[in-house]
Amino acid sequence: MKHATALLVSVFMAATAGAQEDQFSTVITPAFSPITWERLVDARNEPNNWLMYSGTLDSQRYSLLDSINTDNVGQLEMKWAYQIPVIDRAETVPLVVDGIMFITEAPSNVVAVDARTGREYWRYDHEMPDDLRICCGRNNRGVAILGETLFMSTLDAHLVAIDARTGNLLWDTEVAPHDSGYSKTAAPLIVKDKVVTGIAGGEFGIRGFIDAYDPATGEREWRTYVIPGPGEFGNDTWSDDSWKTGGAATWITGSYDADLNQIYWGTGNPGPDWNGDVRLGDNLYSDSVVALNGDSGEIVWHFQFTPHDVHDYDSIQVPILADIEFNGRQRQVMMWANRNGFYYTLDRSNGEFLIGKPYAAQTWAQGLDPVTGRPIRVPGMAPTYEGIMVSPPIVGATNWYSPGYSQDTGLFYVTSFDGEQEFFKRDEDYEEGERFTGGGGRYTSPMDAFHSSIRAINPETAEIEWEFPIMPRSSAGITTTAGGLVFTGSADGYFFALDASSGEELWNISLGRRVHAAPMTFAVDGEQFVTIASGNVVYTFGLRD
Amino acid sequence: MIIHLGRLKPNLRWLAISIVALGFSDYPSSLLFQSAQAEDAGNLYNTAVDIRMGNRYFERQCSRCHGFDAKGNDETGAPNLTGRLRRASSDAGIFNIIREGVPGTAMLPVAADVPDATVWQLVAYINSLRYDPLSVELAGDAETGNRLFNGKADCSGCHMVNGRGGRLGPDLSRIGENKTPEDLLLSLMDPDQEVAPRWWTVRAAGADGVIREGFRMNEDSFSLRIMDTDSNLWSFQKRELENYERLEKSTMPSYAETLSDGELDDLVAYLFSLRREVLPQ
Ligand code: HEC
Ligand code: HEC
Repeated sequence: MKHATALLVSVFMAATAGAQEDQFSTVITPAFSPITWERLVDARNEPNNWLMYSGTLDSQRYSLLDSINTDNVGQLEMKWAYQIPVIDRAETVPLVVDGIMFITEAPSNVVAVDARTGREYWRYDHEMPDDLRICCGRNNRGVAILGETLFMSTLDAHLVAIDARTGNLLWDTEVAPHDSGYSKTAAPLIVKDKVVTGIAGGEFGIRGFIDAYDPATGEREWRTYVIPGPGEFGNDTWSDDSWKTGGAATWITGSYDADLNQIYWGTGNPGPDWNGDVRLGDNLYSDSVVALNGDSGEIVWHFQFTPHDVHDYDSIQVPILADIEFNGRQRQVMMWANRNGFYYTLDRSNGEFLIGKPYAAQTWAQGLDPVTGRPIRVPGMAPTYEGIMVSPPIVGATNWYSPGYSQDTGLFYVTSFDGEQEFFKRDEDYEEGERFTGGGGRYTSPMDAFHSSIRAINPETAEIEWEFPIMPRSSAGITTTAGGLVFTGSADGYFFALDASSGEELWNISLGRRVHAAPMTFAVDGEQFVTIASGNVVYTFGLRD
Repeated sequence: MIIHLGRLKPNLRWLAISIVALGFSDYPSSLLFQSAQAEDAGNLYNTAVDIRMGNRYFERQCSRCHGFDAKGNDETGAPNLTGRLRRASSDAGIFNIIREGVPGTAMLPVAADVPDATVWQLVAYINSLRYDPLSVELAGDAETGNRLFNGKADCSGCHMVNGRGGRLGPDLSRIGENKTPEDLLLSLMDPDQEVAPRWWTVRAAGADGVIREGFRMNEDSFSLRIMDTDSNLWSFQKRELENYERLEKSTMPSYAETLSDGELDDLVAYLFSLRREVLPQ
């Protein structure tokens, strides 16, 4: 007995020693010039760096780099690969700052590597409890940077600040209790002097919100619930007490317009997902985009894509902002291809609906009201106890993976899926920390029977200009460049480049494992690279020397 | 008990299957399962109520990967649980997979605070998705079916069983482990009903203008591989093709008209007997 205790103690000590070594790393990155807010606002004009999840605050994922272009993209070759040690799937979009790359890994770790070679500088392993509630895999999608500090969401619903030079933990704030079903997977967004971040857990009856934190201390500056409480506008769009467990998770990174001082953020499905009987009403602000005041976090306007959703059509797409000519007038717009199968162009100054059309197979709505953009439902398409076939299926016509926009072509690019699924409804009681979905679905055909493609949409007409078929359903994001290229990946493990104007295939390479991430591009010493995660590996490509 | 084949036209025909009710033996109460690692002592939680509870729990916690009908989902990589399981051959084996997950895959263990009783109910539910072969009595005769298969009906021209036969259809050596007798009968009468993508037909016109047709051995976003009727393989880059079309139908003929009811019953009995494990008589 005594023996066993002694052994336990020594094992414990070894474990703590290891943890300490991780926590106080002695390996540091080369110095870089600290990232100021002004540089983040102007991120497009330092295209050698990729300074945030979506590249720039308008989330176009459009890079001005053009040394890789339509003429020479066929000469891309692999420069290095970084193997993530924890086997899971990589949804990460790395950041690059002056030749240093920051990669997040499952479940919630960060590694800093040399962007030229993939060799590691330091790593941060987040300590994780063993009673996580996660809906959809152990993912992390990336960090945000301000000054010399990285900010990361963790699966146990914390926000952590890490010294970008050493990987040392600076602070660790619990955003919400993970054992009630909250978790965090998305990269935060820096807005001025705050770290803005959302929450996941829409399948666990949480109440969604968007938070802002002080980057120096980790203290919360404001919280805006995206489900209004009693007495607030919109609370009456939830029957009884259903607002308390209504979901509307904010699990993907939003965008920001510095001139309008508005933060734009998508919101997820109302909960329970497939049984709407217990939450009658429109269920604001689920399945919406909300515009928040950049200082106070107050909701300035909202647009609800799918009122009273019963199909899990989260609106957690990344909002793409651009100033375009619309009906002969210059407009500040927001482009949005929704999980519900419709594409929308909105006026982002006030949320006005400008145009919207289906861009993928959908059977649940007859169309959109031409004035308000509200969907006109096909009756009888709600899930039933016996099952009913509806398009898009649960995974959606698109989902969380980033769309892209090119300033050269004026086109919006989205990974889209034309599928269908049988939807079922079930009666479930809410229990804290348990799944609360009220049903589910099943496919009745193999995945290969469905059509998937990259679609290029004209934001002025909402018409599809071209499509490039891929298979099967992809969950890869899109990045565009001034080299006339669209980069993306596929579920069958390809990374490829299309001509942004014609959709013509220019280059592809088989990486052998599903691409779950969006590409990003950067330059070191004037040489352009493109990086993509596939399976558990982060690959970097450049032109042949 | 006679099971009516719900998916066939009601007037088409009936398949005579009798399911012998399984008597659940009474275990001594000392055999309560408290350890997380189950010993192979059987499942105490397998009444109709347990199966229903297991089903409900499955729909809530497992269906998002394995599908609402437990038939799997190509996308999540979660396998069909209604046939033979790859990783478990006993109740205890299934229990351990659910308790501990499959390391290095998306199959995570259930939360530690889920009681063992719930896990056993899941085991009962998964077991209820297929027949215990010992409990099934079929009208046909497997020996006669075997002779038909290799003789008059010439199934072996296309199908391989235990290393003998053709390659123009799936290997059927273990088909009995994955299909119910109803499924098997349906495969013979209406082969187009469910055709795995591997057995679709593709017709492709190459850059040389030659049209080739064959099984869709492999297709991805950029390439295509087909096998023609002479077992030649052809690989293409899609961008080099003039055009290509896909036929999601079976190349197997329907036997609804060409074989008698008795012969079909015999073939079903034979197919259902095709499994690796030797059943105790
Ligand atoms: C996140 C997706 C996911 C969820 C949720 C999930 N599974 Fe699985 N399951 C898998 C995958 C993937 C495999 C295949 C693992 C392997 O062997 O590679 C699997 C394998 C299994 C197997 C073994 C199958 C075989 O052929 O041996 C069983 C049994 C099983 N799951 C039961 C369950 C049950 C019961 C639940 C709910 C408590 C569940 N699973 C929830 C993904 C999932
Ligand atoms: C011309 C070739 C051909 C002949 C002859 C043929 N089959 Fe098939 N069979 C196929 C092909 C191809 C498939 C796969 C496509 C499908 O599911 O129909 C198949 C599928 C099946 C399946 C379903 C297998 C599964 O995994 O789902 C069964 C059972 C079957 N055949 C039994 C038979 C029997 C019994 C005969 C003789 C009476 C027969 N086949 C004759 C080509 C053939």
